[in-house]
Amino acid sequence: MNRRKALKFTGNMAVAAVAGPSLLSLFQSCKNTVRADWQPEFLIQKEASFLSTFVDMILPATDTPGALDVKADMFMDKVMANVYDDAGKKAMRANIAQFNADCEANFGKEFAELNKADRIKVLEKEEAKGGQFGQGVWGTAVGPQEPVGFYKSLKSMTLWAYTSSEEIGKNVLNYDPVPGGYDGCIPVSAVGNKWTL
Amino acid sequence: MPKFNIDADPQHTYDAIVIGSGISGGWAAKELCEKGLKTLVLERGPIVEHVVDYKTANWDPWDMDYRGALTPEQRKKHYKNIRTGFVGQDTEHFYANDEENPYTEVKPFLWVRGHQMGGRSLLWGKQTYRWSELDFEENARDGYGVDWPIRYKDLEPWYTYVEKYAGISGEALGLKQLPDSHFLPPMELNCVEKHVKKRVERDFPGRHMIIGRVAHLTQPHNGRGQCQYRNRCSRGCPYGAYFSSNAVTLPAANATGNLTFRPYSIVQSIMYDDTTGKASGVRIIDAETNKDIEYKAKIIFCNASTLSTTQILLNSTSDRFPEGMGNDSGELGHNLMDHTYRVGAVAKVEGFDDKYYKGRRPNGIYIPRYYNLDNETHTDKFLRGFGFQGAGYRGGNAANINGFGAEFKDKAMKPGPWEFFITGFAECLPYHENKVYLNKEVTDKWGQPTLSIDCEYKENELAQNKQIQIDAVEMLEKAGLTDVVGFDKQHEPGFGIHEMGTARMGKDPKTSVLNGTNQIHAVKNVFVTDGACMTSNSCVNPSLTYMALTARAANHAVEELKKMNL
Repeated sequence: MNRRKALKFTGNMAVAAVAGPSLLSLFQSCKNTVRADWQPEFLIQKEASFLSTFVDMILPATDTPGALDVKADMFMDKVMANVYDDAGKKAMRANIAQFNADCEANFGKEFAELNKADRIKVLEKEEAKGGQFGQGVWGTAVGPQEPVGFYKSLKSMTLWAYTSSEEIGKNVLNYDPVPGGYDGCIPVSAVGNKWTL
Repeated sequence: MPKFNIDADPQHTYDAIVIGSGISGGWAAKELCEKGLKTLVLERGPIVEHVVDYKTANWDPWDMDYRGALTPEQRKKHYKNIRTGFVGQDTEHFYANDEENPYTEVKPFLWVRGHQMGGRSLLWGKQTYRWSELDFEENARDGYGVDWPIRYKDLEPWYTYVEKYAGISGEALGLKQLPDSHFLPPMELNCVEKHVKKRVERDFPGRHMIIGRVAHLTQPHNGRGQCQYRNRCSRGCPYGAYFSSNAVTLPAANATGNLTFRPYSIVQSIMYDDTTGKASGVRIIDAETNKDIEYKAKIIFCNASTLSTTQILLNSTSDRFPEGMGNDSGELGHNLMDHTYRVGAVAKVEGFDDKYYKGRRPNGIYIPRYYNLDNETHTDKFLRGFGFQGAGYRGGNAANINGFGAEFKDKAMKPGPWEFFITGFAECLPYHENKVYLNKEVTDKWGQPTLSIDCEYKENELAQNKQIQIDAVEMLEKAGLTDVVGFDKQHEPGFGIHEMGTARMGKDPKTSVLNGTNQIHAVKNVFVTDGACMTSNSCVNPSLTYMALTARAANHAVEELKKMNL
């Protein structure tokens, strides 16, 4: 935006920083992943099922593609495998396990195995916990940051995976790689959705 | 553009050697070559040829494996540089390898380096401001540091000279504390910035909110294209729309036929000849073969960047200069300064939800210094002053929007809330005890001693940071913005990436390293015109002043050569 370009993904990478010192509860392995042919790099099968189900709940297919259509879950797995450090990987595993354990405690099943109505209840409860990402200056968060839990962090990462995909970047958002000039005041109605870049 | 001649001949005595090819080194090369001197430029890193070597310039997020994120291996390689928050998959190749080039933080200090042709001129912020009469008089006025040997009027014609060539966009305002440059048309403020400007200037007489003055072309200039508002500057600009050595000064130097550009050349020391009382040349290590090679020249320009230049001088010992070349005063390595960084306020802006902008403007607003300019603006709280950079934009993390599912997805694709920030940059006083020195215990990949950096902000800088935050909150609140939050990241020095001093200019050889034309007092054929030469550090961004000082010193060097004085 300025002085030096702020990195857009900084906030979205926050998942790694959300430590989950919770019990790594192990449960019976569940159903197949949502994707039959996918061999995740980092996630084990039931974690992959969780993630695919999660991103589909956050950004479902409508008249525009959903998160599964643009393989957001597969990209996120790739990031976890190749970008996260060991602590981040460990936290991700623990957080998914805890999330599933909570589902199990409240609804008797892990997230991916719940029916849609129950999944909605789970996510609504998570939404009610609040926690907002604060503003940043040149790629770094500033000011006091309220706690943002695993759910919000994963929601943020899902959005990053979705909006940074070529399909969404070129066909849903407004892709303008070479604007050529600057107009400091246009009506939103002229473009509708936000700029890709 | 013809390729660069990289065949440097150790048997040949060059007219000039320039150490480093960043902002100031590029200017030294251009000026010396254009004045007819056979010039050898020594660069620590690889060639980065304009356009050809900007390999990431057109990458979209989906063109990168991890959409810009760094792998653990890349983070390890840049374990210091990543503290800036600016290093991504698209730019990491322009940041130095921290593992191969260690330094020791006696107190926390972030030293950001770019080891390639063009140096940090590929990465800089392009904010471009003249220093004022006041800036050159401050040391004499309050007694900190030593007096500058030059005044604004000495540099004024050289500011004009470099601005006309480099191309600086901005708005002329006639402010005494921020003299106007020779401007190309200014960039545009967006509607929110215009609104905030009006309110701030109405409620705070004497304060101005202006579009940043920047080294971006707003119209074609000297064969270079104008800014396309992509904001992918740090990958290298294929249009040559911002000032870099790669796009501007090095091609000009090359076009003369007088330039030899030697990459992978780590300058170990400058050689001193006792019989002539002058420097005779430069000793390098070839970074690829580890061979030691010597090159001779009549004059030597040090433009390795502030701390690297001083490192070379400290390592250039002889019977005459056992404590480093030109260090008769004992001031070499001392009086290190930077600008304080990331302290200010953020806010939300309401009432503009139907407004947006087109284009990614690589620039923002600037609020020039308004304290201690005269009796009326005097404060007892601190000496000197600060300015602000900032911007209004639509941002926010869409994960903050409540909900999930179809309706949420639609909302998340819409422009986010308008946000605004201003962040201060305060002048740092020159303290003798803020210093660097050679560390022979820790060596780099080539076995060379490294630097220990012992520097901290003190009472006057912290008092300014306190005021920056108070003023930032007050301005944004009075402008009618909401959710105003003050912040102070308490960054250590170095974060401003405006490191200055450690080989200061001065009138008296007993208390300074360089004279009024950037020559080492006791070794007149060695010139230092990068940030190391700075006697004080103003609160404005320094690069333009390095350009002007370099062009002025190069002109002086050639005049002295003609008079056979060097």
